[in-house]
Amino acid sequence: MRKIKIQFKLNHNDIVVETFPNRRLLDLLRDDLNLTGTKEGCGIGECGACTILINNKAVNSCLILAPEVDGKEVLTVEGLSSNGQLTTLQENFLKYGAIQCGFCTPGMVLSAHALLIKNSQPIEDEIKDAIAGNLCRCTGYKQIIEAIKATVKS
Amino acid sequence: MIPELEYKKPKTLNAALKFLNQNAKAKVLAGGTDIIPGFHIESKRFIDIKTLVDIKEIPELRKIVEKKDSIEVGAAVTFAEICEHPVIRKYVPLLADAASMLGSLQIRNRATIAGNFVNNAPCADSVPPLLVYDAKIQIQSEKRISEISLQKFLLQPYKTALKKGEIVTKIIIPKPPEDFRGLFYKLGRRRAVAISRISLALLISLENGLIKELKIGSGAVTPIGMRLYDVEKYAKGKIASRETFRELAIMLGQKVLGITGLRWSSVYKLPVIQNLFYQLLSKLVEYEKN
Amino acid sequence: MKENFNVIGRPIIRQDGKAKVTGQAKFADDYKVPGMLYGVMVRTKSAHAIIKNIDYKEIINDKNIVAILDASCVPGEKITGLVRKDQPIFAFEKIVTPGDVVAMLVGESEDILRKLTGRVKIELEELPILADPEKALDEDAPLIHPEFKSNLIVHYPLRKGDVEKGFAESEFVIEQTYTTPHVEHAYIEPECVLAIPLGEKGIHIIGSIQNPFTARRIVAGVINYPLNKVFIEQAELGGSFGGKDDLMCILSARAALAALKTSRPVKIKYTREESILESYKRHPYIMHYKVGFNRDGRIKSMKIDILADGGAYASMSPFVTWRSVVQATGPYEIENVWTDVRAVYTNNPYTGAMRGFGSPQIVFAQESLMDEIAIFLGMTPDDIRRVNGYKNGSITASGQILKNHDVNVLTVLNKACETTNFRKKWIENQKHQNRKIPTIEFQEDLLKNKLIISEKEFIEPEDTWKQGIGLAVSFRGTSLGAEGTDAAAAYLSLQVDGTAYLLCGLAENGQGMRTTFSIIVSEILGIPLEMIHYLDMNTAYIPDSGPTVASRSTLMGGGAVKNAAEILRQRLSQFLKNYWNLSAIDEIEFVNGRVFAKNKNLEMYLSELCSLAYKNSICLASIGWYPAPNVHWEESTGRGDAYFTYVYGCQVAEVRVNITTGEVYVDKITAVHDAGKIINLLGAQGQVYGGVTMGVGYGVFEELDKYNGFPRELNFDQYLIPTSKDVGEIVPIFVEGNEVVGPWGAKSLGEPTLELTAAAINNAIRNATGERYFNLPINLEEVLLKRKLRPEDLKRGSL
Repeated sequence: MRKIKIQFKLNHNDIVVETFPNRRLLDLLRDDLNLTGTKEGCGIGECGACTILINNKAVNSCLILAPEVDGKEVLTVEGLSSNGQLTTLQENFLKYGAIQCGFCTPGMVLSAHALLIKNSQPIEDEIKDAIAGNLCRCTGYKQIIEAIKATVKS
Repeated sequence: MIPELEYKKPKTLNAALKFLNQNAKAKVLAGGTDIIPGFHIESKRFIDIKTLVDIKEIPELRKIVEKKDSIEVGAAVTFAEICEHPVIRKYVPLLADAASMLGSLQIRNRATIAGNFVNNAPCADSVPPLLVYDAKIQIQSEKRISEISLQKFLLQPYKTALKKGEIVTKIIIPKPPEDFRGLFYKLGRRRAVAISRISLALLISLENGLIKELKIGSGAVTPIGMRLYDVEKYAKGKIASRETFRELAIMLGQKVLGITGLRWSSVYKLPVIQNLFYQLLSKLVEYEKN
Repeated sequence: MKENFNVIGRPIIRQDGKAKVTGQAKFADDYKVPGMLYGVMVRTKSAHAIIKNIDYKEIINDKNIVAILDASCVPGEKITGLVRKDQPIFAFEKIVTPGDVVAMLVGESEDILRKLTGRVKIELEELPILADPEKALDEDAPLIHPEFKSNLIVHYPLRKGDVEKGFAESEFVIEQTYTTPHVEHAYIEPECVLAIPLGEKGIHIIGSIQNPFTARRIVAGVINYPLNKVFIEQAELGGSFGGKDDLMCILSARAALAALKTSRPVKIKYTREESILESYKRHPYIMHYKVGFNRDGRIKSMKIDILADGGAYASMSPFVTWRSVVQATGPYEIENVWTDVRAVYTNNPYTGAMRGFGSPQIVFAQESLMDEIAIFLGMTPDDIRRVNGYKNGSITASGQILKNHDVNVLTVLNKACETTNFRKKWIENQKHQNRKIPTIEFQEDLLKNKLIISEKEFIEPEDTWKQGIGLAVSFRGTSLGAEGTDAAAAYLSLQVDGTAYLLCGLAENGQGMRTTFSIIVSEILGIPLEMIHYLDMNTAYIPDSGPTVASRSTLMGGGAVKNAAEILRQRLSQFLKNYWNLSAIDEIEFVNGRVFAKNKNLEMYLSELCSLAYKNSICLASIGWYPAPNVHWEESTGRGDAYFTYVYGCQVAEVRVNITTGEVYVDKITAVHDAGKIINLLGAQGQVYGGVTMGVGYGVFEELDKYNGFPRELNFDQYLIPTSKDVGEIVPIFVEGNEVVGPWGAKSLGEPTLELTAAAINNAIRNATGERYFNLPINLEEVLLKRKLRPEDLKRGSL
């Protein structure tokens, strides 16, 4: 199996990587690029812990092969804040107690981020729909929804 | 885990078809939401694959086109695109509804319509709506292009009429007459990201208080998605009353039992689907009256 | 109890929040070190068998394998266990569950190793499978661990008064049986551990480890090292809920063995399927209650028989069932009580600690029963609790007098009922005539079932949703009780610039404990929260504080932290009293980075004080220690002061039931908890939201089904936990009762929030449909058929 070259935009920067075609995007991010913010919870696209954005759409990186992102824009949790400045959404996650163990948090924040890019005034049902694919065992979702709502208001 | 394989991303349909024709161990990659989990659990459906052919860059497979009498949905259009598209929502809303309830948003952003039924998993949610809309699919290989009704395409659980070297290229949905009303219903074990245990698509038109036409697409409760033509035929011309609907529901139950035989889930699913069908039809007709 | 606090009880942003929300927080799998190898497990496809031979010849020369480990490589304890030693690190005599691991392959490529596991030839002699706990004590039952001569793991009796006499004197007697299923913890982070050999210094293990000191003890025993050479560091933990205890100790030991054998770091990283296959579950209980009562609602006599399925290994069964024997009656004062709780071995997945720890099962049973008694007598559910509920001075089933704290059973009950307008709604729903759910009569002979419904049996769409309200009340003993040594330590070290290091021996599971402890220090010493740095948890740097379980972190850990902070405050105040020439040290206040002398115009920055004190050779560090008050338990009779204090909770569930499909939707849970003083408000609210949501899963759809000992659901597509759309509104209300123990009376919250929900839902369903359910989860089939349906083989269960 030969390695192939993949060119894409990662967290606003152009990069080129060489890897095997059967490599999951999740592993490329975590192991080759040392971006360990994206997590693996189940491996089959059910828990959403591996959620990242491709061209501003939330997807499960455990279901995507590395070559599929060629020419695309990928955003991971590390790409949200710049120079230590958190986004309003991230600030609200802190303020509303939306984080407990933190394992689902990167995926959860990205799903919410994608929602707000597409729809700046979502109602509660739309918020719940947007994060239904991000399982959380700790928080019961309530404070997460509050944090997203607060971001909508501001 | 994912086996060693080659990855190809053809830019044209012809290039894809040529490759598939020449390589028996090549398989189409669309959304990946079925095949990657399949690799993870070492499913028997995905062994001996040497190349994945990514069809997402082929323009005609990604378009939704409104024609005068029909809507054409490219095979690689995602469910997220389908449930938001104004043409789909206007003319074939049951498909939009089914699309919006499939998996999670992350899955809908990748999973494609053809990918949903081309593996013919028993609970594919796109199937009941496509069946009641009498959808046809276009299949292409390097040498030929053909059309077949979706119903004929779906053979058995996990088996379709697709042959080696062939790809589904688009789904052609005739625009239903304006006087049709319908709904798509899905029952899972929880409210989101749930496999369907029962799914139903219904389309009905009335005339002078009588049932002009009724179309029923069942999924999940039958081994593959199917239309229940016997019940539909019987319904034609009957009074659109709750009494009729009960009669139809009982007939539906008998038909489904005949198709599935006695299964471990029958004691739950059969009574439930009869009652559900009755209730859904009653609400649908009453809504139409109002 | 009501004091003016500067920090305590306010909404404080978590200290570890920023690292988590930016993806920088490091969980076990985020650690990578040079030269790292992976360890991959070799299992069998058997639930019960004798191991005849293990043959590695097909892979022994494979260049991808750096080492193979099995029981023969263990220098120390081959068999371990948290209470009873019955669990081998690598199975070598028998297989008793499909999760058992026979060997571990170590190499550089995880993928290649996984492929190679299939080429290890294991010769087995299959044994009959014991899957029914009710048969475990039969004469001819297969013995899971023959060395113990019996499948009985433990039996706890409790005897108070004379139950038969009590029944004879009761006007009415009811008997009911309730059952609960195996449940999976479903932490989103699967198990992961990394062992790094340090040569002469020992071994460093970093992982998703809930109880570092337990892991250290187990690892040291397996590799035959002294405790002080085993350094267990806790990575950021992606949820545990009690589930990363035994298995993590074993994984740590396996990783350590491999690291020592290869002299390289070794990581073990589980897939979700491995996690569900091998990790322990919540105990299924079969609970038989017989209760005698009078027409005024007073319960005179209760006989309780509980059988817990302990599965293949004893694990925490002795402690889980002990809590049940203490609490099985519920918070009700009953003259005559006989309780017997037994745990038995089977070939089912083994069962151990899970949030609640023997309480969610009994609360489900006892609270459902209380409602039945109320309905039988024509009373309302709240009134029956008022007649029987504990008050100050009440005597529990084990003979303990409840004192030294506000026994707030009725307070939480009243608050919950008042907030939800419970009585009015409950009575209203009970009155509805045709609300009775048409359940389907199930015939064992499938062909005899009536599958086609008749004209009369159709349900109108307007009639299909029924609403109900129900409540449940519980009491819970705090901390470990008579289970074991109960004490905690904390280390606090001030620096001359006014910043501080803090570490407690109780470990962060994600619940926000580090923040709670920082709040305590901030309150006492006035150090701004951002100036407190919480150190990484490593067993070398803090005394053994026991496991982080039993919702004891705030109570015991907080107690130790408070002690450490008070020691320093005392020391610094003493110094300052002399320095400022004050008459008493309580004239000194520590607020917001400064110290003041009340009523005198004297102040300085805390940093100045630290600097001055240090220059005067005052030690700026302390170790706090908080031992629990004494408890005791008489094993043969079940008498004693089981726990040193208790917490109380009441939850009201408002549900909608679809009588056509069997769907239960929880519209609202009002959760009133007396957990003592609330220190970390956002954290406490989070515990309610999270615990209730888990409780909804437990009540309505979670079940790890099994077939001949094999778990049926192996990933989240089949084992379903609640999503954002599955629970409606949750309203947390805190009642802060007076309490003498704990930091300012702070007690326990994490588990009480989970144990009540399923019971409240069951009672609400009864109110909605007129039907009483006895078997969790109350899923679609249970609602309509009063039983579960299962495929005849190992096929997917969720269809």
